[in-house]
Amino acid sequence: MGTPTPTPAPAPITVDPYICGRTTASADRTRLPSVLGGDLADIGNAPRLLALAALNEIRTHADGRAPATEIFTEAARLFATATLEGETPQEYVLRVSHATGLTAAAMDQAVRDLVAEIGELPETTAAELPGTRFGEGFGTRWVPRGRVFAAVMASNHPVPNVSWVQALFHGYSVLVKPGSRDPFTPRRLIAALLAAGLEPAKVAFLPCAHAVGDFLLREADRGIIYGGARAVAQWQDRESVAVRGPGRTKALLDQDLDDSVVDHLALSASFDGGTRCTNLSAVLTTRPVGEVADRLAERLGRLPSLPATEDEATLLVVDRARAEQIREQVAALRAQLTDHSVGFDSGDPVVELDDGSFLPRPVVLSADRADHPAVGTELPFPFVIVAPWTDADGVAPLRESLVLNVLTDREELVDEAVREPSVRKVTRGTVLPWTAVPGIPHDDNYTQFLLEPKGMVAQR
Amino acid sequence: MTPHSDTEFDAHIRKLMAWHFGEDTGSPFWLGKKGRLGFDPLTDITGLADLARFPDVSEELRTVPAQRLIPRGLAGRPFRVYDSGGTTGAPKRIVDSGYRSTLLEWARERLIASGVPGDGNWLHLGPSGPHVIGFDVSRYAALGGGVFYTVDLDPRWVKHLLGAGRTDEADDYVQHLLDQAETILESQDIAVLNTTPPLLEAICARPKLHARIRDGVRAIIWAGTSISAESLRQLDEVFFPGQAVVGIYGNSLMGVAPQRPAAPGDPYPCVFEPYPVTTRLELVDDEGALVPYGERGRVRLHLVAEEMFLPNILERDSAVRLAPGPGSVVDGLADVQTYTALDGVRIIEGVY
Repeated sequence: MGTPTPTPAPAPITVDPYICGRTTASADRTRLPSVLGGDLADIGNAPRLLALAALNEIRTHADGRAPATEIFTEAARLFATATLEGETPQEYVLRVSHATGLTAAAMDQAVRDLVAEIGELPETTAAELPGTRFGEGFGTRWVPRGRVFAAVMASNHPVPNVSWVQALFHGYSVLVKPGSRDPFTPRRLIAALLAAGLEPAKVAFLPCAHAVGDFLLREADRGIIYGGARAVAQWQDRESVAVRGPGRTKALLDQDLDDSVVDHLALSASFDGGTRCTNLSAVLTTRPVGEVADRLAERLGRLPSLPATEDEATLLVVDRARAEQIREQVAALRAQLTDHSVGFDSGDPVVELDDGSFLPRPVVLSADRADHPAVGTELPFPFVIVAPWTDADGVAPLRESLVLNVLTDREELVDEAVREPSVRKVTRGTVLPWTAVPGIPHDDNYTQFLLEPKGMVAQR
Repeated sequence: MTPHSDTEFDAHIRKLMAWHFGEDTGSPFWLGKKGRLGFDPLTDITGLADLARFPDVSEELRTVPAQRLIPRGLAGRPFRVYDSGGTTGAPKRIVDSGYRSTLLEWARERLIASGVPGDGNWLHLGPSGPHVIGFDVSRYAALGGGVFYTVDLDPRWVKHLLGAGRTDEADDYVQHLLDQAETILESQDIAVLNTTPPLLEAICARPKLHARIRDGVRAIIWAGTSISAESLRQLDEVFFPGQAVVGIYGNSLMGVAPQRPAAPGDPYPCVFEPYPVTTRLELVDDEGALVPYGERGRVRLHLVAEEMFLPNILERDSAVRLAPGPGSVVDGLADVQTYTALDGVRIIEGVY
């Protein structure tokens, strides 16, 4: 343990669209770069016509019947342990790590979480649906709201892929547009599902351009999209599409800082390299802003700059091109806010590592007012803006939060935060933002997004 | 005899230099430039390689009065003015009297060689109005004794909508066009459909319309925007397996370069060739040198016809350069794509 053994880059592979059990070699090719430089995969992309052909084929067979539950538990087991499509679990983890920059430890955790969440689908379903027995002869069946589901995934983390598995679980036929940097997770999940006995006609895997993803979302009966503010904007008010955009997870810090609170905020911001939509990105505080920001910056500044494959690594790495983008973004934000990390860190927001990858250092900035337009900015690595908050500011600066972590004794404020529609989840005290058990909504009731109640009255 | 080989084309160039820069025959546009070129086109331009010495005048075609483009030697003939689509800004203008018709007779033979029927009625689902494509397609229909149906399409409106981010309205407009095409296809006998790749995609997404075309039309011609290799294969093998699916590369300035008949072992399913009598399409690198065969370069046009002289024009496209096919003297162009960095102008291909 801890011995730095050089990890050989996985051999480049070919990834192609996969429709109803068949691989369709596409003539439209792109290369998927590794964070270490070079290529990880040769990707066959689905243009709109191929996506349309897949959609037509999927729809022909879509019957709304839910596959047997055992298929999902078996698929989860195979996903974690089996060699699928010639890929061992170790190769899979390494491939996604080299493509997304997630650490090996984060990937191991992601595989465990995926297995757990797929295994919990029956429990989650039961927890998210109200009772259906209304006396003899009267009942409610929860049935899919449509037949065909489209999932437009991002590449920040493997676990969100559970969302389309859940659609399959309830009987949808599913088309998956993988994230451009992580086609590997849905590809492997589909292989595991098919090996476990899923009907091949239930699923299609379509690496494709954003415009083709939009086309799939328009044509499908239901869908989900993950992405940045621009990618999700047009789907915001569409009833048939669940939107998973920037999380803008915030903390309201209304108590004195001690080490446990600083550790809690630092972990909220940096867990999984800061890639989750539930990672903390803003702290609003009644305490002295500079002091809070300094302590958080000092704590985050202690995180080591290590290649993603090392056991102790916790921070995300990126390739050269993304490193340049991040440098520019951080420079622009530093120009309008106070930088606290500079006193506790190297000063360069991106560090070049020996293995060829680049590591964005955590950044803590502060604003002088709660309604500063930069508050709410999300970057794909540990990035926090600290801003002052007073009673006079009210609930407005807390709005538009996927998770709001309240550290306060004021019951009224907690109640107001819970009643605020644009705050999707509230955690209280030093509870990490993604903490949940089956049935705790992540952002609305996803099971009821997929299913609708249908009355069934039978003659006694 | 028509010039084909480079030697013949060089002779053709020398002959037309005398025409375009002769005081009695040249156009006011070119005669006005003669003294400012820095060379004498009558003596210094001896062949194809010299055409790159001319300035690229295509920008001026946006503003010059079209009458100044007409050669004095053709003053008595009726001319029409056509606009380009305006993809890169204000439209450019060309003038045409009889040249285009000659070009289209040649192009039609190429289409027939690729499987397009020589007779039957045509439906053009694309621009007419100031755009020369509408004339082109009506001409193909007439040459085969067929009737020409058209659905009017204003490509500039589509580009305006897309440029303003009004994609829903652009989609509505496309559906409005398809409604009209459907009306024609339901009552009229159509042998050939001429349209654009985005409209073909939209057609394929409407099951009834798609079935009507798949079962009732004998050939599909696509032109106007680029298409990916896989999209082409989907059209050919999945959506229209029983039809000839034939591409035409072209624009208002250069005319048309239909797909050449597929040769065994062709690395690309669709290779375009221009009209060898008047036109050369060169694929060049950033320094203006020809790229080797098999490499991608930007399209540079030389059009040397009696009615129009358009040398050394850098087009908005790039393509892979291929050796001339059997019996041909001009290079082939494969995998045409929009050239991306064009002086910071955002290129919106739209549906046309």
